[in-house]
Formats: sequence, C-alpha cells, structure tokens
Amino acid sequence: MTFLFDNWKEYGYDDLLRALNISTTYYPYYKTTDVFSYFVNLINALASSKPLVLLDSDINPSEIDGLDESKVNVAEQIVPVSFKNMDEVVSVVQKSKSEITLFTSGTTGQPKKVVHSIATLTRAVRTGDRFKGQIWAYAYNPTHMAGLQVFFQAFENQNTLVNVFNKSREYVYEQIREKGITHISATPTFYRLLLPFEQAYESVIRVTLGGEKSDQHLYDSIIKIFPHAKINNVYASTEAGSLFAAKGDCFQIPEAIKDKFKVVEDELLIHKSLLGSSESFKFTDDYYHSGDLIEWVDEAQGLFHFKSRKNELINVGGYKVNPGEVEVAIQDIEGVRQAMVYGKANSILGNVLCADVVLEPGFELTELDIKKVLSSQLQDFKVPRRIKFVEEISLTRTGKMKRV
Amino acid sequence: MNTKVLEIINGIRAAKGLSPFDTVNADTRLREDLGFTSFDLAELTVKIEDEFDIDIFEDGLVNTVGEIFTKLEK
Repeated sequence: MTFLFDNWKEYGYDDLLRALNISTTYYPYYKTTDVFSYFVNLINALASSKPLVLLDSDINPSEIDGLDESKVNVAEQIVPVSFKNMDEVVSVVQKSKSEITLFTSGTTGQPKKVVHSIATLTRAVRTGDRFKGQIWAYAYNPTHMAGLQVFFQAFENQNTLVNVFNKSREYVYEQIREKGITHISATPTFYRLLLPFEQAYESVIRVTLGGEKSDQHLYDSIIKIFPHAKINNVYASTEAGSLFAAKGDCFQIPEAIKDKFKVVEDELLIHKSLLGSSESFKFTDDYYHSGDLIEWVDEAQGLFHFKSRKNELINVGGYKVNPGEVEVAIQDIEGVRQAMVYGKANSILGNVLCADVVLEPGFELTELDIKKVLSSQLQDFKVPRRIKFVEEISLTRTGKMKRV
Repeated sequence: MNTKVLEIINGIRAAKGLSPFDTVNADTRLREDLGFTSFDLAELTVKIEDEFDIDIFEDGLVNTVGEIFTKLEK
C-alpha cells in the first residue's frame, strides 16, 4: 500500500515502517521541504512521546518570538523501537503523550504558538473498514492544523496521500487522474484554482472545504468537476482542532459538547477544555473568543451559519464591511473566477474598500460593469471603490487569501 | 495630467449613473459641481494616488479641481 506520492516519488507503508524502525534520533525542531522526512519525524516524536515544534519549511525562525534558532534541525536521541507492522505504529501514536506545538498562520500579525495533544489533534479522525482504501489529495501545509487533520485521518486508516499542496492546476488534475484520487480536503481558494470546468473527474467521491467562507457559485462548479462527490464543510482552527460536523449548508454543535459553547454579540465562544494551550489565549470566564461571527439557523438544535471573522471587518467611513460577503457577491458575477476584498488606508474614510479580481479566461469585464452589478445588490458602502484585475491572488502559508 | 484626472472623475460619475463632463476647470468644486460624496472623494484620492503617487488629501481638505492640480504639480 502506498503511503505517500510526493513529486515523482512514491513511498510505501513498508518504507515508512522501515524508516521508523531504523531511527535512533528525531528532530524536536525540524524544518524541511521533504514531506516524507517530515512525516517520519512527526511519527517518531509521537511514538516516543517526545515534544515537537512544527515549523514551516519556508519560515525564517526569527519571525517567531522566543524560538532559539540554534535548535532547528538538531537531532536528539530516542529509544529505538521495532514495530512489527503499521497497526502497531498507529496504536502507539494514538496513545502518545507528546506535546505538539503549532503556529497560527496569522492572516494578520505575528504567528501565535498553540500546544496540542494527540487527543485534540485527532478528535475528528474516523477509523474503520469503510475508511480503507481511500486516496487523498494532500492539499494543505503539513505543519498546520488542517494538514495534520488530513494526515491523521489518512494515516490511521493506512490510506494513500498524494501531495498537491501549492501545486499548479495542471499538476493537480494530472494527479487526480493518474492516482485515482477519491478524497480531497482543501480551502475554497484551492478549488477556485481548479476552475473553470473542463472535464469531469469521476474517481473523487468526497470533497471537503474548510478555512474560508465559500459560495454557491463555487459549489456548483465543484459538482460539475466532481460529479460523484459528496461535498461537505469542516470547521477547524489552530486553536481547537476540528470541532463541528457540517449539516447541509450549516454547521451543527454536537449534543455532547453543547455546553462548551456560548454566543455573545454573534461571536462564537469556545470553552477552554476543547482547546490546545497557549499563552496568547485570553479567556472570559473560561471561554475563548474565537473571532468567528455566527448566525443561528436553529439554536435548539445547535445549527448555525458562519458570517465572517470579527477582526476581518473593514471600517469604511464608520460602516463595517464584511469582506467575505462582498467577495461572494463578486464571485457570483459571470466571468469572475476569484475575488479578494480588502481595505486600503485612506485619509478621508479611514479605509477605502478595494477588490482584486481574477477573471475567467476569455471574459472581459470592466470596473464599471462590476460596480453596476454590485450596486444593484449591496448597500453603497459595500461596493468596492477600486477594482483591480489581476492574474492571481496571493495566499498565506496555509493557502488562505492574504488580506493586504 | 488633466485628461487623466478628468477620466478618473468621469469614471466615478459613471458608476453613480451621472453623465460625463467634457472638461473641468480649476474652479470646478468637487462636492457642489461634481456631486461628490466623501466616498467619491476617497475613491478619487485612491485613484489619483495609484496614478501619480500623491495623496491629495494628506494635509487637509481639497475643495476644487484647481487645488488637485496644484498638489500634483508640486
């Protein structure tokens, strides 16, 4: 069984087992672009219950406060073990006492440190016979929460991972076709890069979106590209791991942890028992302010919609604009592939609302065309005052859109 | 320079469903004659800044097209 396809290399679960069994050291602070080595190191740390700090391959250690650069890529001894098979590895990893440190991606500001246990990292993992034989497109940064979620889901079921993180549209499609990918979990931005629809890929049976708000236009396109796929959403954060199951186009707070949530001024508050630990967390009566603004669909059943991120609201002349709402409106216009809305500092209004727009090939739209459509749907202050047409939109390390 | 500023002004007016001007002169007032709101003025500054790299409102209010030209000529 193949464990990982990365670039043109293939690693079997037997290769992984061999690599683990010959290891006498691991790296507590490991920075690498090699995904296989990264996973071997992760499993080594977990299996020996050693602490591990996950560093992005492209990070400059000086970007992180309090990180001693001299520790990066310095090996430490571990007690060698001899695993008989992968089932044994999985069961040892599940009982790990390791503290795993992650950093928030920080679409704004300094990355923050969050410490997790195997329990919070694998809360959403499902195992069993019906999860066997899946082939996953690995579309997230492996050092971040979403990447870990997909890794553990695949690893604990001994599924195959096909690395497509930060790869081109052509490469992604080629891998889906060649490897017969069945499952994709990625940000809406990743799926937008796959547009426009050219042909259907029938091997994909499950498509998961996470990380940002998505829109109907995108769902419709995904259904065309992956006609056999069931689409669902996931809510996960660096702070809490995976929390909610999607129910239709809503999320549902599971009955068992219902008392661990509160909603104050539309903001979702999460009880500290569900979180990793971090010095940067601030609690009000043991509840953490998630910064996610939600809207109840059915409060008694715990059903809700996400509206936006609290700190993402842009103040334009005293009006608060939710950039996600405007992005959805722009993306619904025919000929638009992707849009990003942001505020530009301005001496008159505080911020002027701006949008970068990527068009579908062969479409021509002007700034005025877009403004006219938006004016018929949105209040005046929500219509971007400067619309730039760009080739692509820059992304953060986790593949989310970077707001300027 | 003048044609570029006129083009920006007419672009803002077009989005509001107002007819374009053939010319503007130094005495043309931004609010009264062009019908610009503070949102329109903000758009004007951003677009002039894109084009000329100058924030015309940086040190206080500008009332006429002539005052814009003066700032751009500096």
